Amino acid sequence: MRILIVDDDPFAGAMAEAILDAEGHDCKLVESGVEALDAFGEEGEGFDLVISDMHMPLLSGLDLFREMRDRGISIPFVLLTGDDPAPLRAQVPDLAACLTKDASLEATLPAAVAGI
Amino acid sequence: MVAERGNAPSPAAPNKAESFQIRKARLRASFLSQLPGRLADARRAVAELRAGELDHAQLDALYVLFHTLKGSGATFGFRKISDAAKRAEQTVRHAMDSDGLVEAALRAELDRILDQVDALALAADVQVDPDVAPGFELPGPEPQPEPTSGQAPDTRPEQPADRSQRTVYLCDDDPDLAAQLASQLGCFGYRVRAFTNLADLRAAVDTERPSAMILDIVFPEDENAGPKMLAELAAGEDKAIPCIFISCRDDFGGRLQAVRAGGSAYCTKPIKTVELLEFLDRLTNPHPPEPINVLVVDDDRELAQFHATVLEEAGMVAKAVSEPVQVLSLLETFDADLVLMDMYMPDCSGPELSRILRQIPGHVSLPIIYVSSETDVERQHKALAVGADGFLTKPIEPDRLIAEVGLRAERMRILHSLMVRDGLTGLFNHNAIMQFLEVAVANARRAGTPLCFAMIDVDHFKSVNDTYGHPTGDQVLMALSRTLRLRLREDDMVGRYGGEEFAVVLNGAGIEQAKRILDALRTSFSNVTFFSDGQEFRCTFSVGVSDFPTFDTPDAMTEAADRALYRAKKGGRNRVEIATVQDALTEPAPGSPETSDGS
Repeated sequence: MRILIVDDDPFAGAMAEAILDAEGHDCKLVESGVEALDAFGEEGEGFDLVISDMHMPLLSGLDLFREMRDRGISIPFVLLTGDDPAPLRAQVPDLAACLTKDASLEATLPAAVAGI
Repeated sequence: MVAERGNAPSPAAPNKAESFQIRKARLRASFLSQLPGRLADARRAVAELRAGELDHAQLDALYVLFHTLKGSGATFGFRKISDAAKRAEQTVRHAMDSDGLVEAALRAELDRILDQVDALALAADVQVDPDVAPGFELPGPEPQPEPTSGQAPDTRPEQPADRSQRTVYLCDDDPDLAAQLASQLGCFGYRVRAFTNLADLRAAVDTERPSAMILDIVFPEDENAGPKMLAELAAGEDKAIPCIFISCRDDFGGRLQAVRAGGSAYCTKPIKTVELLEFLDRLTNPHPPEPINVLVVDDDRELAQFHATVLEEAGMVAKAVSEPVQVLSLLETFDADLVLMDMYMPDCSGPELSRILRQIPGHVSLPIIYVSSETDVERQHKALAVGADGFLTKPIEPDRLIAEVGLRAERMRILHSLMVRDGLTGLFNHNAIMQFLEVAVANARRAGTPLCFAMIDVDHFKSVNDTYGHPTGDQVLMALSRTLRLRLREDDMVGRYGGEEFAVVLNGAGIEQAKRILDALRTSFSNVTFFSDGQEFRCTFSVGVSDFPTFDTPDAMTEAADRALYRAKKGGRNRVEIATVQDALTEPAPGSPETSDGS
């Protein structure tokens, strides 16, 4: 699967990338929502999935999700958050998944991606 | 965005061929290594907060910083760091919600949390895995072509004493010192876990027994807390964990407490890493140490043989000689740790033989013990005055002989290994390597074998120090010394010549083979990746190499190697140049302006 990872923390982003690379996915890592939108606009590449951090400066993960849907990009979207994911899940039912950003990501992220 | 994150720490470019576990460990180590930098940034930002002022920008920056720390801390499994960061994040959020007005209590609260995170960062595995050390990583030995028959292999495949299996726990309430020592010992292959309080150490010991421990003596709770903890740990165990105490206390009381608790060694602060390493190697080495070599000199052939047999039975290697005249030639091939000599011999007395030995530079520190039936204490003292180290009275109890000889030889070995080593790298120091060169030239001349001498100098080392700081510069030197030790052949001698300059004596190697070996080392070292503050960089070195007999004295060899090194630097660096007789005629003497700046 071709996956776009969006995280302003390069370490967390690199970790997600490492987890998914190990599953055999093809990942691209960007550091902001703006860069993510650029990746869609310029490259027009066929990403199969977006995995984004929730809290980022300027454009949050949720903002990115809404902006993408506004632009008619309808690929699955996984949100990662350092806070409790339950309220976000309830607020945005269209998310493919909303996962807690912690050590359990090693197991939950591949499982969520496999389910898409 | 890009500009805003311009100085942010970032992990090294991923190597997708590696397994996930290795990548994870590397990211984790990288996260830990840049953590102090992040925390320092946070402290600066907190220090700039002014009570009673509105400061949205500053608070925003702090919020992002703590939020990011919370996220990546949790991702890498540092639960407590993440929790503390979360508290800080909420504290800042609260201030932002109250219109960005900075209250006096805010700074104190954030400082307190940062203190906690600092301590937590230290208690975390400073050294996750020796292969993913934050300081640098060495590529594995490259596959070598099969050596052609009759030729020694260019490199040896593995370090004989692999320390990577040895876990060491280090506990010191000074977090800076703990982190620094842990990372330095990590560079020499130990897996080190640092703790800043004894309760955490105790918990870790209960889960996994380390090969050795390094403990501070004084802790805030008690000035003898370290020894007390060791005694407590030893009480429940059949086999005590070897322990080295480190302390700024150099008083008798501290040392006594350490010895009573069962401490094996005692190092005073400031700690010399190599000294500590020497003790650690000794305490954790699973292989028995080299047997002690003893030379027994006695005109009574049978008695000499008897003493030698007693010592051999105790596991030492002993050679018996009945003629003092044979001693010097024997010492050339037999590397004695100690000489046991009869005091009264017809051709040459013990004191005379001692004087002869003491006048030979290589034997000045060779321990000598006299054996005699002399019971007159005054005469014994006189004999000792010419430089012997002890006196045993015939007849000697075998147990006493073994104990006296073993103790002195062992002590001298430790002392000797400390005297000839460079404090930073653990390589031979300048004097030692020059002595080896002298011996090697003499041997090569006698045996008609080839020999090469190389001078290695790190390229642009000054700019490494200027750009990344001296601790990083030291890491480069340690990495180079480790590369040299790992990759050179058993017979080769490596020393730190001074500063960023290293010297290698390549025994039995012709100039072509020497160049091949050195070029392989050069390539290997240029692939070492260094990390500093989240930045990655590489280093190279230049080499000048001279051979015997083209240059036939130690001085001529060093001078020629130095000129060749100068030519390598002038020719663009990162290369090996072979010394020629013409160098001396055509090149200006080294030390010209170009080598002195940023070589």
